[in-house]
Amino acid sequence: MTNLRTAVALAAAAILLAGCSAVKAYERGKLADPLLERQNEFEKQSLEQKFFSSREGSIGGAAGIGGGCGCAK
Amino acid sequence: MTRLRRPLALALITALLTGTAAPVMAADGDKMGFTTYYFTDSGENTVITTAFNLAKKVMRQTVLLLDIELDNVTVPPVTAVTGATRPQRRKGEPFEKSRGQVIVGVEQGFGATTTTALSGYRSQEVDYVSTSVIGTVSDEFFDRNLTLTARAQGNWDQVGEIQENGEVFNRPKNAFTGALTASQILSPTTVLDLQYDLVTLSGFLSDPYRKVAVVNDDGSRSVVDEKHPDRRVRHAASARVSQLIPGIEAALIGSYRYYFDSWEVRSSTIEMRLNKSILSNIILGVDYRWYSQSGASFYQDRYVGAQYTADALRTADYKLKPFDSNNFGFTLGYLFRGLAGGNPDLEFLQGASFEITYFRYFNTLDFSADIIQGGLKFSI
Repeated sequence: MTNLRTAVALAAAAILLAGCSAVKAYERGKLADPLLERQNEFEKQSLEQKFFSSREGSIGGAAGIGGGCGCAK
Repeated sequence: MTRLRRPLALALITALLTGTAAPVMAADGDKMGFTTYYFTDSGENTVITTAFNLAKKVMRQTVLLLDIELDNVTVPPVTAVTGATRPQRRKGEPFEKSRGQVIVGVEQGFGATTTTALSGYRSQEVDYVSTSVIGTVSDEFFDRNLTLTARAQGNWDQVGEIQENGEVFNRPKNAFTGALTASQILSPTTVLDLQYDLVTLSGFLSDPYRKVAVVNDDGSRSVVDEKHPDRRVRHAASARVSQLIPGIEAALIGSYRYYFDSWEVRSSTIEMRLNKSILSNIILGVDYRWYSQSGASFYQDRYVGAQYTADALRTADYKLKPFDSNNFGFTLGYLFRGLAGGNPDLEFLQGASFEITYFRYFNTLDFSADIIQGGLKFSI
């Protein structure tokens, strides 16, 4: 139950954050800077993330598309 | 050296095709990338990967996605009962195999703020086949300050075991994944990402090659297959803050992930990354990742008793032990935009970059790994 509460709290935080002052379109240009390494949900998950998920007992927290392989048994 | 020839040849051919195809294929919004990756660990396992990806706009709001990845894996010989995941057949020889992976998808925009994607994933190697279908929908709210993304995925895998006679015996393993992501712009230089992942797995969740040593009631020793539960429910909640620091041309990215599952594995992951522009087109990145996990409920250092040669759960998977790990990474990136120089024939270089990364990973189980990765991207 505690774990479910944590997940719900995270989701609620996201919704509440929407109440922050909106950043106008002309102010958002800096967010495209490659220094920020914005992750793309529609691309493949990074090889780095694949390494961690196949060498540790945890998954999740990464953007992108991934799938199964013999390395992750 | 022989095992390096094929992946290196594939890497060179792909690089040449990428380099020559870029000015021909590229159009506004197109992206193309090439990555090569080399991994080796303290157990003398090696993986060499080459990957090519393409995002091609075919209509105003329609993009076709293609990703191809080729791996060459080598597992050393085994001389004792270990957690090595390789066939016992010819165990005195290195085990080599290749893996091919392809992702094909279509990304479709609707209106100004909604994007959907449908992708198919297929991975094939001699003793493992994975097939996935992934659906993603993303929408923007509050003047595009908030982006919500939902992803659903079905996995239908076959876990193969190469038998002594060379034939492969397959067992099914299925997984269903749901993920929710919220990206909130907090300021002109700050973004917060929150993500929740849920994965349910069922079927054969053990490794057919791993063996467990069991001490019997009479003190004798038996070697048996590992036996995991046939169901697992996994949760992960994560938060990531990306902060641009324009005054010093740098960015600081910090993240935390909490994970827990029905096997009672719990973990925390903290990662910090600093990217710094050191010349107008060169970026240096420094990364540190700390990870700590508990063991699975059925994990034991030593299995004693006859029940462990029968139906009692047992594992030889080190990923189910309690351990901590550290990972240090260094990245050097070069942006090709400076080479475009106003030449229209070199316009495709505006969004192009080259990056090389080195990671050093080590954990409290005396396991360590070195990873070198190089990538070339074209984006317009």
